[in-house]
Amino acid sequence: MIETIDMPRCTGCGICDWVCPADVIHMTPAAAAAEVPGLTPRALLPVIMFREHCITCFSCEIFCPEKIIDVHPVVKNRPRAW
Amino acid sequence: MSGFAGTLIETDVLVVGAGAGGLIAALSAKRHGGPGTRVTIVDTWMVGRTGHAAFSNAWMVVVEPDDDLEAITREILAGNDWIADQVLVRETLAGSYERLKDFEGLELQFPKDENGRYIRRPTRGLDDTRVLCPVGGGLEFCWRLRRGLEAEGVQILDRIFVTGLMHGRNAGRGGAIVGAVGIHSRTGEFQAIKARATIVCTNAITFRSGFVRDITGTGTLLAYKAGAALRNAEFSYTRPGTPRFYFEGITFAIQEGARFVNAKGERFMQRHEPRWGDEADVPRIARAMAIERQQGNDPLYLDMSGVPEQTREYFIRSKVKWMACFYGKLAKETQTDMFGPTPYYPQNQMTKMGIRTDHTCRSDVPGLLSAGLAQAGAANHFAGFHIGLCIGNGWIAGRSAVEDLDRLAAPALDPQEVRALHHESARVRDDRAEAASDSVLRGLQSLMFAYDVSVWKHASRLESALERLAALEAEFASLRAPHTHELVRLRETEAMLLAAGIILRASLYRTESRLSHFREDCDFRDDANWLCWVDVQDAGGTPRLVKTPVPTPIVSPGDFEQAKVKREVKGAT
Repeated sequence: MIETIDMPRCTGCGICDWVCPADVIHMTPAAAAAEVPGLTPRALLPVIMFREHCITCFSCEIFCPEKIIDVHPVVKNRPRAW
Repeated sequence: MSGFAGTLIETDVLVVGAGAGGLIAALSAKRHGGPGTRVTIVDTWMVGRTGHAAFSNAWMVVVEPDDDLEAITREILAGNDWIADQVLVRETLAGSYERLKDFEGLELQFPKDENGRYIRRPTRGLDDTRVLCPVGGGLEFCWRLRRGLEAEGVQILDRIFVTGLMHGRNAGRGGAIVGAVGIHSRTGEFQAIKARATIVCTNAITFRSGFVRDITGTGTLLAYKAGAALRNAEFSYTRPGTPRFYFEGITFAIQEGARFVNAKGERFMQRHEPRWGDEADVPRIARAMAIERQQGNDPLYLDMSGVPEQTREYFIRSKVKWMACFYGKLAKETQTDMFGPTPYYPQNQMTKMGIRTDHTCRSDVPGLLSAGLAQAGAANHFAGFHIGLCIGNGWIAGRSAVEDLDRLAAPALDPQEVRALHHESARVRDDRAEAASDSVLRGLQSLMFAYDVSVWKHASRLESALERLAALEAEFASLRAPHTHELVRLRETEAMLLAAGIILRASLYRTESRLSHFREDCDFRDDANWLCWVDVQDAGGTPRLVKTPVPTPIVSPGDFEQAKVKREVKGAT
């Protein structure tokens, strides 16, 4: 299951959102530091919106160009026959 | 009806679902139809980065020109316990080498030895069949196919979740399908896609188990509602696995020395399956595990300690990217030794229920075709034959769709139907609601995965499960979705509930044991009465089940002798 995105190093490229086959990560408007006084910058940054629906496919971690996403390999709530 | 708005897209061939079957169907339609043919492929998520194939090694059966096509066809048909469309299977195998060349044309690479021969492997439960996989596994396979589709002018629509099929002005439920409607899986925007031919490739119902839990098989149930018959609902692929993490590649781990053992340390597969032992086909392993459980020999393990040191390194490195992440972290974060005894249970259930088609992949409903595992061409999918069949039936479906373009009348939409489908697509949306479909899903999983219902069946337990299913359906009826994410999940759960009822009824109906359908109260194969498919059609909201004899134009059970296993099988006595 996805654990963390190292946000200070995130460039906001959005690849993690696109490659997720479970709709877990959403690019979301976020406030950014003002470079020009009077202009309010807006940026899209990833948010782990539905962590409990992560399928542990590692796609976000594999395709993140900055290598800042960590997926834990242990799967929770996996249905069993007994 | 207020709030009606959306987008209308027109195409010639619409492909719904972008796993191996859908990607190949789109490629085939474009190549058979030529540049002027409009082909559109949609998927709930990103085309080329989703579907079962993307997260597998993409092992595929390939029959090379000097292989014995007839022998391979026969053993695959026999391995399906004769529940297969023989003509479709042979055509799939016969075309597999040509498809391999198509893939190389898309810059996919396949490993070769120093003499330039493809490096292929045997697969569990088969003697003559050989499989191979592309460099980079399924992610590379699906991505190269996406790029190929883009280059050839196929329209790719990511994030479209299809919620209904349209009959348009073709009156009556037997009328032709004229496309599909759906919603954008992020924004919820309504989409209508008008098409002359629609190919459903949405895999099978999995009840969100397994390692690709985004596969929910909803298209199959949409086809059922639109008048198509389903078949093979009583069969499933209950794949054993580890309870806490995923492990892909068990077929080849066993060939390298992995063993199944029970709590007493016994290699129980030798007792249940003396011919193939640990190399028995997956359903037989699930059956053996269920009986071991019933006899009190649980816990069960996969003991990987027999895999030689030098092979372990190759084994780990040869896996696809996500497996590399998985292995790399297991040692570090969970201190789990993969190469020791690991608890193992039957758990990963992919049903085999698919759309009934003829060997050209056309369903009973004009304009509606099917490919991939949404098509009920075979009920058993050996490692490599899963994707092998998807490649074969995808190619055939794309070709058939193009052939139909001139035969089918120009599609005409029915505004009233479109509005009704629009309403239906968002009917359960309520911004104030709690997202609660997971609760019904867990109840459904617990109902359908119980080993004495899903693997080792009995009439009394199946009937009891049907009663419990009715309670879950009642609970589900009150659920609403506060956002699009939950709306998609609700629609998927709705399809799973419908599928569960069909699966339980078909399991009750077949009063014998065959392939992956094991009845404790009918523990015998009955060719005299059950060399048949169980076909299911919607009869006014109730599933109607009928037997359809399986044609055997190529080989029949009486012709096929149970020859001795030709190659050395490490798990057998």
